[in-house]
Amino acid sequence: MTGRRTRRLTQAQEGLWFAQRLDPDNPILNTGQIVTLRGPLDRTAFKAAVEQALREAPALAVRFIDGPDGPEQILDDPAFACLDIIDLSAATDPLQAALDHIDRDMARPRDPLHDLLVTEELLIAGPDLHVWNQNIHHLVIDGYGTSLLNRRIAALYNETVTAVPDPDTAFASFDDLLAEDAAYQGSERETKERAYWNELFADRPQVIGIAPGEATSVHSFHRYTIDIGPEVTKAITTRARAAELAWPDLVTTIAGAFVARHTGTADTVVGVPHMGRLGSVAARVPAMVMNVLPLRMHIDEDVPLEELASSVARQLIRGRRHGRYRSEQLRRDLGLIGGERRLYGPLINIMPFDMPFRLHGIDSDLRVPGAGAVDDITFTLRADAAGETMRLELDTNPTLYTAERTRQLGHRFVAFLHAASTHEKLANTPTLSPEELHRWQTVQTSSTHPVEDTTLADLLARRAMAQPDALALIDGDRRWTYAELERETAHFASKLRLAGVKKGDVVVVALPRSWNLVVALLATVRMGAAYLPLDLTHPPDRIKRILDSAKAAAKPSVIVTTAEAKTIFPDDAPLLFVGQGNDVLRDADVAFETPAPEDAAYIIYTSGSTGMPKGVVIEHRAIVNRLLWMGTHYGIGPGDRILQKTPATFDVSVWEFFLPFITGATLVVAPPDAHKDPHALAALVREHGITTMHFVPSMLALFLDEPQTHGLAIHRVFVSGEELPADLRDRFHAFIDGELHNLYGPTEAAVDVSYWLAAPTDISRPVPIGHPVWNTRLYVLDARFRPLPSDVVGELFLAGRQLARGYLGQPDLTDERFIPDPFFAGEKMYRTGDLARVRDDEAVVFLGRTDHQVKLRGLRIELGEIEAAIVADPAVAQAVVDARDDGAGGKRLVGYLVAAPGSPIDSEALRVSVASRVPDYMVPSAFVTLDRLPLSANGKLDRKALPDPSFTSVAGRAPSTDTERRLVALFAECLHLDAATISADDDFFELGGHSLLAAKLLKRIRDQWGSALADDASGDAGRAGVVLGLGVIFTDSTVARLAARIDAALAAVGPFSVTDSEGLAQLIRLNRGDTASSLFCIHPAGGISWCYAGLARALAPEHAVFGVQARGLDADAAPPESIDAIAADYIGLIRAVQPQGPVHLAGWSVGGIIAHAMAVQLSQAGEPPGLLAMLDSYPSDSWREQTDPSEDVALKALVQIAGRDVSELGDVELTRERVMRFLRDIGNPLGMLSDAALNGVLNVVAANNRLVRQHRHGLFPGKAVYFRAALDHIGTDLSPDLWAPYIKQLEVHEVSSLHAHLTGAVATSYVAPVIAQALRQHRLTGSEN
Amino acid sequence: MTAPAISLDTMRADVARIIGEDPSEIGDDDNLIDFGLDSIRVMTLIQRWGEKGLKLDFAQLAEKPTLAHWWSVASRHQAE
Repeated sequence: MTGRRTRRLTQAQEGLWFAQRLDPDNPILNTGQIVTLRGPLDRTAFKAAVEQALREAPALAVRFIDGPDGPEQILDDPAFACLDIIDLSAATDPLQAALDHIDRDMARPRDPLHDLLVTEELLIAGPDLHVWNQNIHHLVIDGYGTSLLNRRIAALYNETVTAVPDPDTAFASFDDLLAEDAAYQGSERETKERAYWNELFADRPQVIGIAPGEATSVHSFHRYTIDIGPEVTKAITTRARAAELAWPDLVTTIAGAFVARHTGTADTVVGVPHMGRLGSVAARVPAMVMNVLPLRMHIDEDVPLEELASSVARQLIRGRRHGRYRSEQLRRDLGLIGGERRLYGPLINIMPFDMPFRLHGIDSDLRVPGAGAVDDITFTLRADAAGETMRLELDTNPTLYTAERTRQLGHRFVAFLHAASTHEKLANTPTLSPEELHRWQTVQTSSTHPVEDTTLADLLARRAMAQPDALALIDGDRRWTYAELERETAHFASKLRLAGVKKGDVVVVALPRSWNLVVALLATVRMGAAYLPLDLTHPPDRIKRILDSAKAAAKPSVIVTTAEAKTIFPDDAPLLFVGQGNDVLRDADVAFETPAPEDAAYIIYTSGSTGMPKGVVIEHRAIVNRLLWMGTHYGIGPGDRILQKTPATFDVSVWEFFLPFITGATLVVAPPDAHKDPHALAALVREHGITTMHFVPSMLALFLDEPQTHGLAIHRVFVSGEELPADLRDRFHAFIDGELHNLYGPTEAAVDVSYWLAAPTDISRPVPIGHPVWNTRLYVLDARFRPLPSDVVGELFLAGRQLARGYLGQPDLTDERFIPDPFFAGEKMYRTGDLARVRDDEAVVFLGRTDHQVKLRGLRIELGEIEAAIVADPAVAQAVVDARDDGAGGKRLVGYLVAAPGSPIDSEALRVSVASRVPDYMVPSAFVTLDRLPLSANGKLDRKALPDPSFTSVAGRAPSTDTERRLVALFAECLHLDAATISADDDFFELGGHSLLAAKLLKRIRDQWGSALADDASGDAGRAGVVLGLGVIFTDSTVARLAARIDAALAAVGPFSVTDSEGLAQLIRLNRGDTASSLFCIHPAGGISWCYAGLARALAPEHAVFGVQARGLDADAAPPESIDAIAADYIGLIRAVQPQGPVHLAGWSVGGIIAHAMAVQLSQAGEPPGLLAMLDSYPSDSWREQTDPSEDVALKALVQIAGRDVSELGDVELTRERVMRFLRDIGNPLGMLSDAALNGVLNVVAANNRLVRQHRHGLFPGKAVYFRAALDHIGTDLSPDLWAPYIKQLEVHEVSSLHAHLTGAVATSYVAPVIAQALRQHRLTGSEN
Repeated sequence: MTAPAISLDTMRADVARIIGEDPSEIGDDDNLIDFGLDSIRVMTLIQRWGEKGLKLDFAQLAEKPTLAHWWSVASRHQAE
């Protein structure tokens, strides 16, 4: 007998096998080629040639099976080789029809267990026009193999039509290749190569891509293709040849440098595809052999390019010599599992020449629409046969790059290639293309605006003259007109003059906030002296250091303070007291000089990183620009009331003090210390009708926590001094009626240099710092002061009119921070030390401090990202993450947080929720809950005042549930470890697991729980574990999390025949909360209740939350007859898990109608009333008049269920395919639905719409808690009051949300506490009964 | 038959230059991979020899990277 032979997969195949099994619906491993054939093709000969070549290539004819010890391939399967000929010539546009046909074929995922992995089709588009579609799964072929196959097919065809054979194209034996692969495994050579790579990567360099995010291939990719002409090609090849370099290595070097320009690190790791054929029988076997070699490059831009390329070439040569060792294996060796832990970044694939494909008498054009996974970005360069031109194909992962970004990168790369090949060193090569550089320069002059060259003194005097009787100043009960304030100012100026102060002097002002402070500042600047504010509440030590430092450079003429404060100052200090006998009114004021625009207006001390404060000297010209911009830009003027609440030592106060008096507005002085008291501030705003005020974001957060502030109208609120969190922006608009403006700027550039309107419609995350103010330039530059492309992180530099003169008495420090502007000769630019990037709309985004970057275990960590993840948990109001010493020479992350009102923090639950948003290594080791975050005197976060956490054992808790204990045993079995050493928090992969072992673990889990997991009557072993897929082991890799998944799966009750899509059971458990007080959430129109996951998280651990899903998701289920029938069915489901006690229900949209019907039925049956929570549901009466919905409406509903807006799909007709592709592209779990499940969803939507219209509501004799989507339904009659006839008592909560977003994170943060409160109430009253 | 464009010794010299070795160090049956030859350089050589009129095929050369094998392939091609 011929007997079928089975073989283990080659090492090269294993990685691809797992990639496909992890994501079975992903078609990206289809490697395709499209060949357009023009000319008189002999179809019979072509068909014969293709089929003969396939018969000669046994590697393509294998079949795969799941063997007991892993996947296997069966050789010598009956030949299946067949080319289908399909006639499309009758189509309107046959060529297009052929290409569409191929697109569809490429988009069809192949299941290696069941599908043929080779598709060969000849599409007839006309008598002399054919398109050949060859689509072969990557599991059995690679690019080189495809070239061999093509060449063989051409040779066989040509032999038929010309009778000239080409024996050189014959394949070598696949058996020999398998033997070679088997011989390598465990060989000395393998040991040597493993050692080589492990040593090279022993320090696991941190790998980052061009774009942030997880680099895991999705189902599609963007491609942008550019032809690189002979000029650039020749420049490259000539330069390479002159240096005895292979030009592909030179291009790889330049591409590596290009990547490094975008990641901002000189050390970069790229992946270089390696065909793996040299010295191997594989040179003549079409099969999957290729490997990806990680290439570590240190880009030294200061050596000649040839020198750098030579060192890269040496590295490449060594790598290729050790190139049989699989990079997947190396990843396992190094513990780099999962999308975040990468071995290499972008792929750089240079193909020196393609083997030509020529059919006799036929003009052919070959394209490669897809060649495997695109995890991040792949630069493919193909040279033509003659090596005279090249073509760049840039493929990108659409979750990381937009199509536009891909296009930009392509053009920039070609320009960079050209520039680098003509510059001696990379140091001289710009990152931007000439077009981008031109645009950059244009943007830099866009803020130019004419501003009068004058002084603050002049502007103040003019305004006082213009409106003497207008109200200028309010402090407590006292009021001053402009004329009165002018008189006070003149008096105080006289006092200063008499004390010896003259133009150019420095006046120290150390006063608590009061009208006296205002007058002292006005008088000082009017007479051309600079004021230096001191805060009497600061530590005396700091005040002394500032005075000492200032004295050394410019001895203050006088210190204005109060008598009470005099002990702070030295005995011989020239003190001038206010509020004392010596400020007797005089009849005639003393004359004084006025300042010039280049005179100093104020000196404000900021803290230096060394602990030594620095005095920033700001000239009139600079602050005039800033104030006139603000007055004009925001239209501030008479009628406006500006609150003065910022301490004078913080430069935000400068516009508070002076803007009112140059624009004609009124200044309201807050009492001392009021700026820290939200309640007092709210009262001030109400009392005085404040129109304009400022907050540091962390203070704004406190302000919004104060219920008194809710509903306040404040025309303009400015925030600056810290990053404005996007959630805070959204909370602001939920509570305050007014504009929110995010400003940015260091003291060194006259308060603020950029602005951004953080409008309610702004969806930016993070919120940008925006665009430059007048006559200001914002540069984002690399370490060599080269402009960076948009979205690339660099350091922010500032230039223009607002720059400070420098630091008082510190010329060296001044020269270090204020450096020559390389773009505008003769000007300076200020180095901010802030990281930033520029968006495509030119708005600048602040990304933290250059010196606040944290590296933990070799991984770069942005603390802001972790903070955002913590705050995303509805229980948390504010969070800060710090890297703290762990006492053992290392660092540990600590999360500090302030709980949202009424939300106790459960560290374990929080850890789980944070771990769901950031990689494990970014999850803080400890959480510390604080009443409030410590703020410095300026109202900024004071990191030093954060307490050290008490590190309890981080060894992890012992397994506590039966499931956890059984899982620990399985971990131990798969990993050959002692079960006693494994804790519930241990991670399968950190314990040494990898994808092969994961498959084994999954099998063991299925063996253990399979029968309990699904009572599938068929008893099919493959089906028994349908609720858990391999992906679960990767997403929930700790014992505890995996156990939770198993428990959740066990909790799902009822048979369900829509297979392979977990989470579609009729009752699913959404959290691990206490079942003594469970909430049952009824699905909205689509029948799926995953949307309540956020609510479930927020209600854990106090309350268990279950999702009730439509029976109709199962296509075989009988369609429901009425809403009442559905309600009765669901009550039955619930009673199966909760036999007695009140049933607590919640429902969004249609779910609310069903929940109401259930509540009515329960009460009619005499059950005690439970909670009925309705999320923006409206009674059937409101829908009855409307026409029956189309499929279009159902598809829209599906998009809404995903929490997205239909407009995001663009202006196209909605089809099932488009909607599913969109959902998949955005990574929504709904996109993973099988076709059967999708049909189920659409059927349910249609059924629900129909049944709702027929439904007649009964009366619910209890209280319903109702959440109205307050941002929606404008202009409709929809109102909660429509329920009045059907609900005895209705408690309505307005939620600042759209209907579609009502179960989103923001709305949930309002909804969850109300529901939690109601459930608690039920529990209390229940226990009394 | 035209005169061969490439001889065994010019082939040896070209290989030696691209891997930075002295031609005398490379024996006919030495595995060129041991001298640091890689696939990219093989392709570069094929391209350069192609410019001199000798069209060689990567698959043929790659399977057995020794000068002796290469010369046997080249001789066959030059004889055609």
